[in-house]
Amino acid sequence: MRFRQKLLLIFALTVFLCVAVISASVWNSMQRSFEHANDDRANSVAAQFRSEFQRRGDEVARKVEAAAASESVQRIALEINRGAVDSGGYVSEARNLAGQQHLDFLELVDHQGTILSSAQWQAKFGYPEPAIPSSIASAGAFLKREELPSGSTLGLFAIRAAGVGEQPLYAIGGERLDQGFLSTLDIPAGTRVMLYQNLDANWNPKSLLDLNGAAAGADKLAPLVEQVRRSGKEARSVIRWTSDSSDAESFHAMPLAGPNQQAMGVLLVGSSRRPLVELQKQIVSAAMLVGGTGILVAILVSLWFAARVTKPVVSLADAARRVAAGDLYAKVNVESSDELGELAAAFNRMTEDLLQQKERTLQAERVAAWRELARRLAHELKNPLFPLQVTVENLIRAKEKAPEMFEEVFREGTATLLAEVNNLKTIIGRFSEFSRMPQPQRKATQLNEIVTSVLRVFHAQLKEKSQIVVRTELEPDLPMISADPDLLHRALSNLILNAIDALPQGGEIIVQSKSFANRVELSVSDTGSGLTPEECGRLFTPYYTTKQHGTGQGLAIVQSVVSDHGGRMSVESTKQGGTTFRIELPR
Amino acid sequence: MRRIAFLFLAAASLLGAAEGATRPRYGGTVRVMLQSAPTSLELPAGGTPADYWDAARILSMIADNLVEIDTAGHAQPALALSWQSDMNGKRWQFTLRRGVKFHDGTAALPATITQILGERHSDWTVRTAGDSLTVESESPMPSLLAELALPRNAILKRSASGLPVGTGAFRVADFQPGKLLKLAANEESWAGRPFADAIEIELGKSQRDQAIALELTKTDLIETPPQAITANGGAQRVRASLPVELMALVFPSSSKAQDARVREALALAIDRKPIQSVLLKGAGEPAASILPNWMTGYSRVFPVQANLQRARVVLAGSRQPALTLSYDPRDPQAQLIAERIALNAREIDVTLQVSLSGVADVTLTRIVLPSSDSATCLREAALELGMTQPLLHGNSVEDLYSSERALLDLHNVIPLFHLPIATAAGARLRNWQPGRTGNWNLSDVWLEADSR
Repeated sequence: MRFRQKLLLIFALTVFLCVAVISASVWNSMQRSFEHANDDRANSVAAQFRSEFQRRGDEVARKVEAAAASESVQRIALEINRGAVDSGGYVSEARNLAGQQHLDFLELVDHQGTILSSAQWQAKFGYPEPAIPSSIASAGAFLKREELPSGSTLGLFAIRAAGVGEQPLYAIGGERLDQGFLSTLDIPAGTRVMLYQNLDANWNPKSLLDLNGAAAGADKLAPLVEQVRRSGKEARSVIRWTSDSSDAESFHAMPLAGPNQQAMGVLLVGSSRRPLVELQKQIVSAAMLVGGTGILVAILVSLWFAARVTKPVVSLADAARRVAAGDLYAKVNVESSDELGELAAAFNRMTEDLLQQKERTLQAERVAAWRELARRLAHELKNPLFPLQVTVENLIRAKEKAPEMFEEVFREGTATLLAEVNNLKTIIGRFSEFSRMPQPQRKATQLNEIVTSVLRVFHAQLKEKSQIVVRTELEPDLPMISADPDLLHRALSNLILNAIDALPQGGEIIVQSKSFANRVELSVSDTGSGLTPEECGRLFTPYYTTKQHGTGQGLAIVQSVVSDHGGRMSVESTKQGGTTFRIELPR
Repeated sequence: MRRIAFLFLAAASLLGAAEGATRPRYGGTVRVMLQSAPTSLELPAGGTPADYWDAARILSMIADNLVEIDTAGHAQPALALSWQSDMNGKRWQFTLRRGVKFHDGTAALPATITQILGERHSDWTVRTAGDSLTVESESPMPSLLAELALPRNAILKRSASGLPVGTGAFRVADFQPGKLLKLAANEESWAGRPFADAIEIELGKSQRDQAIALELTKTDLIETPPQAITANGGAQRVRASLPVELMALVFPSSSKAQDARVREALALAIDRKPIQSVLLKGAGEPAASILPNWMTGYSRVFPVQANLQRARVVLAGSRQPALTLSYDPRDPQAQLIAERIALNAREIDVTLQVSLSGVADVTLTRIVLPSSDSATCLREAALELGMTQPLLHGNSVEDLYSSERALLDLHNVIPLFHLPIATAAGARLRNWQPGRTGNWNLSDVWLEADSR
């Protein structure tokens, strides 16, 4: 990954993280606010319920008091105190009184706790009323479970005594605590109220009422109700009605205690979480929009900033690449005075030093090459010059000391002179030939065929040197390449010749061909004595040779051919480990 | 002194008025109100006891039976003057009253009566022989006289419009189904012309409306709950019959209370006395037998007291399903009584849900005990209650008791109360003497002279 891309990624991640952190912070803050508002709403409904509960309780107490003070109850109380008890005459009294006072429940109970008349269950006369603490006979309303012919229900009751005689007559009246009661509550929008009548030992879904009667999906609220029933304390829970989170509701459950503080019912205030979820979705959408926009802007800014920041670095990298490619004239224009500026200046100094060093090296190499050339020329020319000198001296000596033999000496001398001059021409021609290396004439070429052809040329020579074995490992389906077969033939001949020269004591020559994705490779290995690293380094220098009679042009020609074909040549050698020349040509 | 003289004169004038009122007088229309609103003048099938009594009373004014049964269970002559049977009771011969005419003027000949009875009883062989007719059957008919005295065996024909044409003291003058029935005196009644010229019966009147109308002297005779007897303190004369109805719990064959122990326990758990004293306001008698004590004399043998301890013992180990208790919504007292029974059942942890919907496991029902003849009454009651017919091996009380005991030991029926029926008459109705079994005898009543 490039430096600019890294910078870009870092900037984008930073922006994204910032947006995410801000969104999470806003989300948490919003959620807390919503929960707080939800709690406030539930508490408001609960407070309203308690207020309504108190008001209705007072109302019930007032109605029961009115019933107890009615003429008929006073008359019954009087008759009881007189000892004349005829339940038959009272059986409908409670119902009539309840109707007058708009009470759902009313029972007239004597001082022994026996029901004389019951509005809600007329047939219950003569049965005992469950003991009611006398202390609440004048107190406010209380919750009480009431048995009815159709089952049990929950009611808000009050007790008042008819104050006639020594034997009091109690009026126990009340109103139902059911969906009708819930419908009187002023419930905020998005909120609903349910009432669980704790009438059974175990959870009974039919006892959970909402404004329409038995609440639907009651079983999902069972754990919450059970928790409140067991603990007698308020509890909260989120109920998910469907897989859609916006259908969930937050429920606040409050116990409704009876006179003995046992939970007679549970009031549930439910608040829809739809506003929260929709708000969450809006925030997430906004966060994604803002985040996406931020990231986009960040990318653009990062692009600009990274470009600005990395421009010197890129220039440096380009310059470095050019230097690596051999362009030591590469310069970096950095105008800043910061570290990058110093780095660029250092780089420019470095390239200048390298250029100077290269020039020095080239100059040294050129000098060395000239020296080598001179040495070779001197060496090459020295051999034919010496016979020339001797022949000329012989001709002079023969002219002076033995003229009679001069003619013969002259003939022999001129023949020698001509031979040596021809030798000099040959030497000069070879040098001239290297300088006139032709450009490749490319055509589709099969490298394996060239190998076969070259080895055929050297067949006779190798046959004479029976101690040399040639082994070929040629890839059968080697692809054709675009190359000049004659130049490659010449290059490979030089490599084979070098290998033969490297095996004066015999050995093995291995010729291999391979194909790769974008190139073909030809290698010539020998099992000779190998080369030192220094020798390897100078091996391709023109006119450099390690042989006694070489001109130092062979490998230079090979490298020149390979280079003209856009390929690359390399050598691997270890002392006493043989040498391998490898040619790589593009496909 | 002046005050004492005034009181003496006032008492003397009242005595004079009373003397005048006891003198029979022809003429006038007796106004009657009834609860039922029949659309045809027939004995209802599946109606309430009130419907039965109303229909029976109307038919008894229009038609006569061959015989009548008094409260002692003895047959009395009606259209038949005398009768005799063979030793085994398979063949009965009746000597018919001569000169009797139907309301349409046709003679009530033995052949006509034979035809009427023969059509009603395919298992009888009814023949005419001069002024008499014979009734024969392959099986003994010890209770034939009681059977013939039942309202369903009244001798009557049907007119072209379907109205009954009988030989009774009154004939149908006008009938507006469900609303009004006008009866006119039968001038040629074999029992003599009735005192009243007509009887006007308003149908479909609630007991409350009837009571108000009587109070306002807009009617002369009404039905009234028997408990009104105790509350009656006005000028109305309330007459209650002997207990001629039975209120009972009946377990149908489809009831979930298949375990007889549950049914027996429930019978033991019901505290009848508070229901009788409070809900029935003292009317009727708590009962554990089908037949009332006045009819058999042995009903006290069947204990009516609740025995929760015994009920729990009986119930131990039995399966106790929740049962649905149904009642007749037309009976104004039935719901409260049913709820009270459900309360009693709770005492032994038997759940009785009082409901009018769904399939009833037990039904609170009220039936008519239609005959003063105990054997006939038991048979009719068993039929009405869906019980198997009693096996009567003789005419003795012991046979009757054994038969009833056998029926009740199945615990498919829990008798609760024997109930009377009552009527209230206005002050201008004179010589009002209803039968002790609830029948009316309006042919013998007359109206005060100053009435309209």
